[in-house]
Amino acid sequence: MLEGNFWAIKNVRLTLIAPLIVATASVSFAPRAQAAGTVAGSTIANTATANYTDSGGNAQTATSNTANLRVDELLDVAVTSADPGDIPTLPSGVNQVASFTVTNTGNGSEAYGLAVTTALGGDQFDPTATSIVLDTNGNGVYDAGVDTVYAAGTNDPVLAPDASIRVFVLSTIPGTAVNGDRGQLSLAAASRTLTGAPGASANGQGQGGGDAVVGTSGGDGSANGAYVVQAANISFTKTSSVVDPFGGSKIVPGSIVTYTLTATVGGSGSLTNVAIADNVPANTTYVAGTMTLQGASVTDTADADAGVFVPPAGVVPGRIEAALGAVAAGQTRTVTFNVRIN
Amino acid sequence: MRILILLFLMLSPVSGHAADAIALDSSVFVEREVPAAGGKTKTVLEEPKVVIPGDRLVFILQYRNTGTQSAKDFVVTNPMPAPVAYQGTSDTVAQVSVDGGKTFAPLASLKVREADGAERAARPEDVTHVRWVLREPIAAGAQGKLSFRGVVR
Repeated sequence: MLEGNFWAIKNVRLTLIAPLIVATASVSFAPRAQAAGTVAGSTIANTATANYTDSGGNAQTATSNTANLRVDELLDVAVTSADPGDIPTLPSGVNQVASFTVTNTGNGSEAYGLAVTTALGGDQFDPTATSIVLDTNGNGVYDAGVDTVYAAGTNDPVLAPDASIRVFVLSTIPGTAVNGDRGQLSLAAASRTLTGAPGASANGQGQGGGDAVVGTSGGDGSANGAYVVQAANISFTKTSSVVDPFGGSKIVPGSIVTYTLTATVGGSGSLTNVAIADNVPANTTYVAGTMTLQGASVTDTADADAGVFVPPAGVVPGRIEAALGAVAAGQTRTVTFNVRIN
Repeated sequence: MRILILLFLMLSPVSGHAADAIALDSSVFVEREVPAAGGKTKTVLEEPKVVIPGDRLVFILQYRNTGTQSAKDFVVTNPMPAPVAYQGTSDTVAQVSVDGGKTFAPLASLKVREADGAERAARPEDVTHVRWVLREPIAAGAQGKLSFRGVVR
């Protein structure tokens, strides 16, 4: 009980004070600086020295015994999602990667058991977790065939204090999921030594021979990730307009036909490597230098801009191509070109 | 066995230096909050059984003059164990050092120079040594207790 500046010592037996021989001792232990605290198994050694002058005027020194304490192992772990947001996916997608980080926030080396839960509320589908993979090469990215598949109790990741490991969960998305559906999953990590109420301990189970004590995390932790179905689709339209040599719109030799090709991306998410290609119609000739993309002129040669005209070869009257790259849902790309009727 | 007895005799106080008349005992306890009547908690000191980072420790030094003459200019110095951050003392005669025991003063008047050269007020965790300077001589048979608190880093 502590009241004011008065120490009352309860439930303890103070060591009898015995005269001591003069000895020198010093604190020689230097633990590593750790966010997780002093490493389990470290010894806290406390020694004091008294200096005084005796009745003969001589300087004297007395050194205390060394009071030793062994630091026990605190079992704590933190799990976080390593994905920047929901993971875009498609119906029936396989090996869809969700990333997590497991960090040992305790002060001793500890093995963790990993488990995935997918039956979570508040979403539209349950992904099927097919495997848990450890980022064996430590590059933070799932490498099929390189990173090691996790098997509970066989290759539980062992983490030093403050160390962390990236863990991937591979899932299959149900074919019934539709655009915009979310499916959550949770990765849990649990100390192999002990989990439970904070403060619970296991005698002699800690690193360095001390006890293992459950920390504020309970010795386990989990984090959620989510897949979201982003099914983008694309539609094309092609229209034409004609200007004849006399200012009208008759289709006669010498008339100029302008073709307008429109690609529209719908749904959600985006499509990559979108490209438009259109053959120049038979009995017409492409009018050089008339290709436009989004209203701006593009050259006929294969160069930095998106457009290229592939000249006629044999019976093929030539073809225009436009490489549009990634197009997000809701956006449109328009390409025009002119041909002259032969 | 004979060697052990011999060792014991060599180490026993009987054969100690006659001039060493001061006995100093170092002990450490863990401060814990325990439930008390009326839904309150009280702080008790326990013998350390389980110690984890963040635990609050109380270090107690007991001194006694076991000789027949008084001892004067009595100074006790306690280097901080590295895994422990100083948390203060209620002993008014205590001073601390933040430079490895070169200089001692009350914590509030000490400064620490950062790696970038900037100077800042010393904080409890900067303390490297605790020192008590007793003005009165310790009479033969007299004893006393010194203490300070720390937290396991």
